[in-house]
Amino acid sequence: MSKIVVIGAGIAGLTATLRCVAAGHQVTTITKGIGGLQLGQGTMDILGYMPNRVERPLDDLAALADEHPDHPYAILNADAVRTGVNYFAELVGEDLLVGDPERNVFLPTAVGALRPTALAQPSMMAGQLSDGDSVVMVGIRQLKDFYPGLAAQNLARSTLPDGGRAAVRATYIDLPARKGEADATALTYARVMDDPTFRQLFVTAVKKVIEPGEKVGLPAMLGLKDPNSWREVAEGLGTEVFEVPLQPPSVPGMRLNQTLVDKVKNARVRWVYGSQVLGGVAENGRLTGVVAGTTGHNVTFPADAVIHAPGGFESGALELDSYNHVFERTFDLPLAGADNEELLHGNYWGEEQPLFRVGVRVDEQMRPVDADGSAVYENLHAAGGIIANANRWREKSGDGIAVASAVRAADSLSTPTTAAASGAMDSKGDN
Amino acid sequence: MRRIETDVVVIGGGATGAGVVRDVAMRGYRAVLVDRADLGQGTTGRYHGLLHSGGRYVVSDARSATECAEENVIVTNIHADAVERTGGLFILPPEDPQDFGDKWWQGAKDTKVPAEEISIAEALKREPRINPHITRAFAVEDGAVDGWQMVWGAANSAKLYGAEILTYHRVAKIIREEDQVRAVMCTDEKTGEDVQIDCTFVINAAGAWAGEIAAMADCHDVTVVPGRGIMIAMNHRLVNSVVNRCIYPADGDILVPVHTVSIIGTTDVKADDPDKLTIPRDEVQQMMDAGEVLVPGFRKARAVHAWAGARPLVKDGRVSAEDTRHMSRGMSVLDHADRDGLKGLLTISGGKLTTYRLMAEHVVDQMCEQLGDERPCRTAEEAVPKSEEGKNYVVTHRLEEREEDRLADQIICECELMSRQSYVDLLEAQPQATLDDLRRQLRLGMGPCQGGFCTTRAAGLALEHENIDIERATGLLRLFLKNRWIGLWPILYGDQVRQTALDNWIFQGTLDVEHLPTPDEELTV
Repeated sequence: MSKIVVIGAGIAGLTATLRCVAAGHQVTTITKGIGGLQLGQGTMDILGYMPNRVERPLDDLAALADEHPDHPYAILNADAVRTGVNYFAELVGEDLLVGDPERNVFLPTAVGALRPTALAQPSMMAGQLSDGDSVVMVGIRQLKDFYPGLAAQNLARSTLPDGGRAAVRATYIDLPARKGEADATALTYARVMDDPTFRQLFVTAVKKVIEPGEKVGLPAMLGLKDPNSWREVAEGLGTEVFEVPLQPPSVPGMRLNQTLVDKVKNARVRWVYGSQVLGGVAENGRLTGVVAGTTGHNVTFPADAVIHAPGGFESGALELDSYNHVFERTFDLPLAGADNEELLHGNYWGEEQPLFRVGVRVDEQMRPVDADGSAVYENLHAAGGIIANANRWREKSGDGIAVASAVRAADSLSTPTTAAASGAMDSKGDN
Repeated sequence: MRRIETDVVVIGGGATGAGVVRDVAMRGYRAVLVDRADLGQGTTGRYHGLLHSGGRYVVSDARSATECAEENVIVTNIHADAVERTGGLFILPPEDPQDFGDKWWQGAKDTKVPAEEISIAEALKREPRINPHITRAFAVEDGAVDGWQMVWGAANSAKLYGAEILTYHRVAKIIREEDQVRAVMCTDEKTGEDVQIDCTFVINAAGAWAGEIAAMADCHDVTVVPGRGIMIAMNHRLVNSVVNRCIYPADGDILVPVHTVSIIGTTDVKADDPDKLTIPRDEVQQMMDAGEVLVPGFRKARAVHAWAGARPLVKDGRVSAEDTRHMSRGMSVLDHADRDGLKGLLTISGGKLTTYRLMAEHVVDQMCEQLGDERPCRTAEEAVPKSEEGKNYVVTHRLEEREEDRLADQIICECELMSRQSYVDLLEAQPQATLDDLRRQLRLGMGPCQGGFCTTRAAGLALEHENIDIERATGLLRLFLKNRWIGLWPILYGDQVRQTALDNWIFQGTLDVEHLPTPDEELTV
């Protein structure tokens, strides 16, 4: 049994943590705060655009790798992605993610774009529209993050994946989540939707504004803890419903996050929350521990191996200072793309800003490497958004990269034990 | 073609033009103001927000100093809702010429700019974050003024006196009948319609664009040199009063608390084209270094936005055309009757936002003289609408309002505490507005998230509340994001990068905005 420290509790950190536990390691997960899952759309993206719309993401990874040999998917390949995605889907279960990693689905966003993703929450799947569908997008007056008109009218003028069009209209209901409150977030609604009494009020209100035969698009707030909340709404309305993810706080993202964090805690992982890792302790090219800042003093956590999954610029793991210098905050790792003279350009709708491709380069075992391609530390592995050369948000590739790299990192840990006797990975514990 | 008849056409909807149209209307003339864009979209909206006490000019430009001191009092009264009485300090850092302190003090006395020398301890008590090594400190009556609020105040006052304000009307031609101005031809930029405004007088208050306008009346060689200055807004108030570096006017010598942010300014570099102002990296670095002198640790603070404005400096043969800082900042009026033999056209240029009212008074006096009318100026005595009670702006006012309506209304822009009702009301008043037009009056999207959370809401509400189609609503969203980025990328570092990554995550990641149906042609107005 090796001591593994995982840094970060986003999709990559949580996946890596559970994979290491399953392999029988003793895991400490250190996180500065709640991970990024609750900021995203709550589905599993593999690859959505390259830059044209992708239908079969795993099939297209080879072409992507040919075109961009430095892309994380070029190092990971389709098998690793399939393994990672299937592992993640198993972890969260069919109540939270369904679909086929081989094939993308196209789901409406809150502004009415058709967004490709691989797996999605079952509550969203009816959002796959076909030619001739009748759809009504229903907003709630007291929820300011969903404007059904914007979503409906853009959807109505979009060509569907089957080449057809849907008839989409918009309407509103008036139903405060809490009495007398005009301004509520989706999270407030999701919490009250877990209560059957409120759910009934909601169904009654929506029923009044929909027509027979219409599919119903709703803001993603149909319950937080109760996985059947949305099914009851669909049954109550007697039609298909689909949730549309909103800007943060993201209820679908929170569902995934909560499920994984519960699993981590139940797996007796040492969970260090609210502490930032400040650096590592190294000896002969290996990390022997990491140092985390806690109130009053710093604490060193011993480690046989470290999985570094802190995210990218969005979490502050990567930083650009006022002198235009990019650095990795925890271990000062070498960064690919950081010396680009033009990290940013002025055309918002133009090419991806090069800054957001900056990150660490990794080897097959997901170890950050220097310019010569040698591992910076023999037992430091990286996962998720800190890895260089992906356009995660534009490509819709962040989730796939995260889970594939997390699983690959966990499966190829360089610990003193594995260094001595390879094959230790066969003794995977049951999760 | 639409046809309007009036007495006076004012060209330019900046502070000067708004001041002029108000003055003209208050003296009993029929007046129309035209601008090619929104009010305050040019230089007026692209400055640091300082209502000068005059202290900045006590050594370099005595006349400007005295004018500023006098106008400061007037503007504070007549535009109470646009002015925050922050007070200001002139601080002398140890590395600057120490003898300037005495020169400054003498200058303040000579120019009658109210000032008081205070102890370093007192200065640090008032502004704990300023450089503790300063050697002298003087307190002055600087304030912060919201240029857009001020311009709209003047415009609304003019409207009460019958003036018409036509934004997004681009002047195409000034029609003359021999030696007399007869009409101004415009194009309505929103509808494409031609508009002819028959008049007997035109006042050209087009600022950095005044040369172009004069040329439309065949008055050539009016050279206005655009002096580009950049400003950077930091995400909170590093100081609560204006902090000036006590040196001869130079770059990066002022830090102004305006609304929820503080703004450092500015540089001064000759520009070729006032429509193409850049924000060069080296000037950003220069502002950062200057900020460190005033407030140590300035670089660690978060910059949220930058912009560049074009000072309209009238070319003066006495100084080299490259040296814009030392041209006259005073106002100058060109009488085209004398200069070009054309009656009914005056060009007003130069000056400062603080003295906008006085500039208007001067040019309208001159117009009255040419017309042989005796009508005195009254703009200093009467407050503009919403400022009648004389209650000056305080930074906490929106917090107070939201506490009142927190259960009944929604907050559409959390950073700036902008309510849904205030947004919908303004949409109704200006149904053809872009989100930037609304922003200038409501501060939509101007806080730390730079539109990350409010842009979709604003576009969604615009679609629901106004008679616009989905293409325009989507275009408004696209245009707003594009425009926010113009002021973001030149100063992007530190926590604002993190914010931008989150915003990209929202717009590209979650909403997939870049794959919405795109228009053949991007919306521009």
